[in-house]
Amino acid sequence: MQRVSRLKRELQMLSTEPPPGVTCWQKEERIDDLRAQIVGGKETPYEGGIFSLEVKVPERYPFEPPAIRFLTPIYHPNIDSSGRICHDALKLPPKGAWRPSLNISTVLTSIQLLMAEPNPDDPLMADISSEFKYNKQLFVEKARKWTQEHAVQKNVGVMTDSIQNTPDQKAHKREAQPELVEPAKRNLGVGIWQGMRGTEEEEEQ
Amino acid sequence: MEGSDSLEQNGSDQPESQRRRQLDRLGREEAFYQFVNNLSDEDYRLMRDNNLLGTPGEVTEAELINRLQQIKDGPEQQNNSPSTESGENPVEQPQSSEDPASGDSLLDWLNTVRRTGNTTRTGHRGNQSWRAVSQTNPNSGDFRFSLEISVNRNLAEQQAAAEGEQESAEGQEVVTNAESQIPMETEVVEEPVVEELAVIVEPEPELEEAVSQEILGEPPSSPAALPTQPSLSPSPRRGLRRARSRSPEQRRTRARTARSRSPLNLDQLDGLPHPRHAHISQEPTSAINAPPVPQMEGSSRTRQHVLSRQSTVDSDVQPPRAASESPPEAQNVGSQEGEAAGGEGGAAGRRPPTIMLDLQVRRVRPGEYRQRDSIASRTRSRSQNSNNTFLYESEHGGFRRTFSRSERAGVRTYVSTIRIPIRRISDAGLGEATSVALQSMIRQIMTGFGELGYLMDSDSDSSDSNRGASAPTDLAEALNNPDASATAASPAADVDEPPVAAGVRARTVETDVGEGLASGPPGSGGRSRSRPPISLEEPSSLPFLRLAHFFLLNDDDEDQPQGLTKEQIDNLSMRNFGESDALKTCSVCITEYAEGNKLRKLPCSHEYHVHCIDRWLSENSTCPICRRAVLVSANRESVV
Repeated sequence: MQRVSRLKRELQMLSTEPPPGVTCWQKEERIDDLRAQIVGGKETPYEGGIFSLEVKVPERYPFEPPAIRFLTPIYHPNIDSSGRICHDALKLPPKGAWRPSLNISTVLTSIQLLMAEPNPDDPLMADISSEFKYNKQLFVEKARKWTQEHAVQKNVGVMTDSIQNTPDQKAHKREAQPELVEPAKRNLGVGIWQGMRGTEEEEEQ
Repeated sequence: MEGSDSLEQNGSDQPESQRRRQLDRLGREEAFYQFVNNLSDEDYRLMRDNNLLGTPGEVTEAELINRLQQIKDGPEQQNNSPSTESGENPVEQPQSSEDPASGDSLLDWLNTVRRTGNTTRTGHRGNQSWRAVSQTNPNSGDFRFSLEISVNRNLAEQQAAAEGEQESAEGQEVVTNAESQIPMETEVVEEPVVEELAVIVEPEPELEEAVSQEILGEPPSSPAALPTQPSLSPSPRRGLRRARSRSPEQRRTRARTARSRSPLNLDQLDGLPHPRHAHISQEPTSAINAPPVPQMEGSSRTRQHVLSRQSTVDSDVQPPRAASESPPEAQNVGSQEGEAAGGEGGAAGRRPPTIMLDLQVRRVRPGEYRQRDSIASRTRSRSQNSNNTFLYESEHGGFRRTFSRSERAGVRTYVSTIRIPIRRISDAGLGEATSVALQSMIRQIMTGFGELGYLMDSDSDSSDSNRGASAPTDLAEALNNPDASATAASPAADVDEPPVAAGVRARTVETDVGEGLASGPPGSGGRSRSRPPISLEEPSSLPFLRLAHFFLLNDDDEDQPQGLTKEQIDNLSMRNFGESDALKTCSVCITEYAEGNKLRKLPCSHEYHVHCIDRWLSENSTCPICRRAVLVSANRESVV
């Protein structure tokens, strides 16, 4: 119920002091439907990629965790093919570790961490998880490949091309997720732009 | 203002109006804190416990004051004879007969209730009047909903002629629903039958780390004085009703009516009113009993009074603790009263028949589960007292159903308890999982009634055996969901077969349920069979079902099992923020404390706004900052 006032504050903080490698902004005018992007960490298979996420803020936020999922396909033991994330901060106690003192910014940061350090012992994708455990080389390769295919930022001007390319990319996916690919691409451009815009303004102030 | 400025800019050109809105909001927020600061502890608790505080910035101070006033006045009003109230406050006419959406109104209302705490609503349909009472304990998340329907015989008769015109939306529907149970009456004829339906949703102790929830369904006793269901009669003006009415029951009902015409004693009416208040104030459980009273009033008195009340009762209710203890008691009380009433009822021949459905949704904390789950024992104990009792218990794959019948003082009481574990699923799989769970739960409930019917039938004539089936069937129809019907159908089918033995039948049912449930958990796994969601809007669904639906759905957003009770929360220290304090921010609302803010300090020394932390603690037991258990007794790992 305190969601609105709190969200406003959070958004403000997100725009004024976003955590490194993370951006988050309001999707249109809706305060409960946010978009975020996480930059793939250095020295991770996701390096060079920009991953879009959907952040839905429940009515009872902050007493309930935000619902976050990846829009950009990502090859990760704890993230499934529809982008759902297995992460304790995204769940309520007793199972999870969400608490109202966390916020969207911290949660996104922890997702960023999760990307860098998968937790194969609590896997969402069993096959990827065992690959991560027992054949890391292969895992890294695949994750890189996915990153290249789906998350590497193409020149904004080339966006149309990349969308046209999606058929090829789909072939590589475990499951065709056309609906995921396109929004992800679309967001990419917009998101970056918006994120940058936010920072600029801040500097102006 | 700087903040808002930047916000606006970022938010892509927010118009001036929006800016103004934000300012207004800020003002209201300020006023909110002011208001909370000035509340006495008692008032604060009152407001909080009834969910009247709302969100800072969303409610104006005037509104808050108004609410406070209302909640304070509420109790008094209730003390007055309800009848007066009904006459005076016909605020809402929930059941305008033609309103097609009327079916939804109850739901809507329930939703409101969630926000406002306890509510009472009554309506009148034809010769029937209904009264719905709901109580919510924001802290424990328990709900109690009871719906009573009374039929005014006289009116009924009159109306019988006029049947075509009046439709009762929910009231009638429910009644109809109840009809399926009517079979009981057959035997009882002139005695009021009490049936209570209670559904309890409780989280189960975690197994394998999975958060599982259990739904306790105790559909049993709603005191229904069915005998007089004349009015119910078949005049189904509505599609729904019609469908249902075709069942043999109706016919029977009529016949019965004629027979039973006499005395349905719902003495409860008279006797109850007062007791009710008493009960309520004492224990939440008593609430259950309360409903009957009002109803009676309504029915006996006016058929046309519709009143809406915000029950202040809630304030008195102390759900959390009560929940654990009271349930059993409540039921006992209820049943006893019911019985007692029945006994007396003979005298009060004039009383209109009443059907009462009582739904309880209660959360049980893991630890308490065993003890609490004393329903079965409750049943048992009760039966011991009675002269003529029947008790059937079965357990199957996590479901336990208990069934008992007793007869005492001329009143028969049927109690069926069903416990259904439902697996909670992460939001991911929620939709489907929910529907699966829902279906099975509903099926359980309906089955419970079916069993009741069966029981009765078994006592009397076998011809009635089909009765039991009717409920499930209706359910299936109501669900109007292909899949659901498919699933539901199977149970229904089972039911349909004339039960040879109670045992057999019960078993069948359980099996079905088991299957239903089984499908649930897998769903959580990540699969989902495409199952069209049950549509709440389906106009034809029984209100009863909708209620079940409502509870289930709402349960979704609060499946955190453990929270603190009000008492526990109130025991935590509280203080006012002073200017001298180092500037700090409440990490729940991310707002800086202002002078006079009420802060609550947890044992770990972390402080929050009272209204912020209270809400969290009502559902959780750890400090939001350090995650240390707020209560030592909580027994949860203190730090992660």
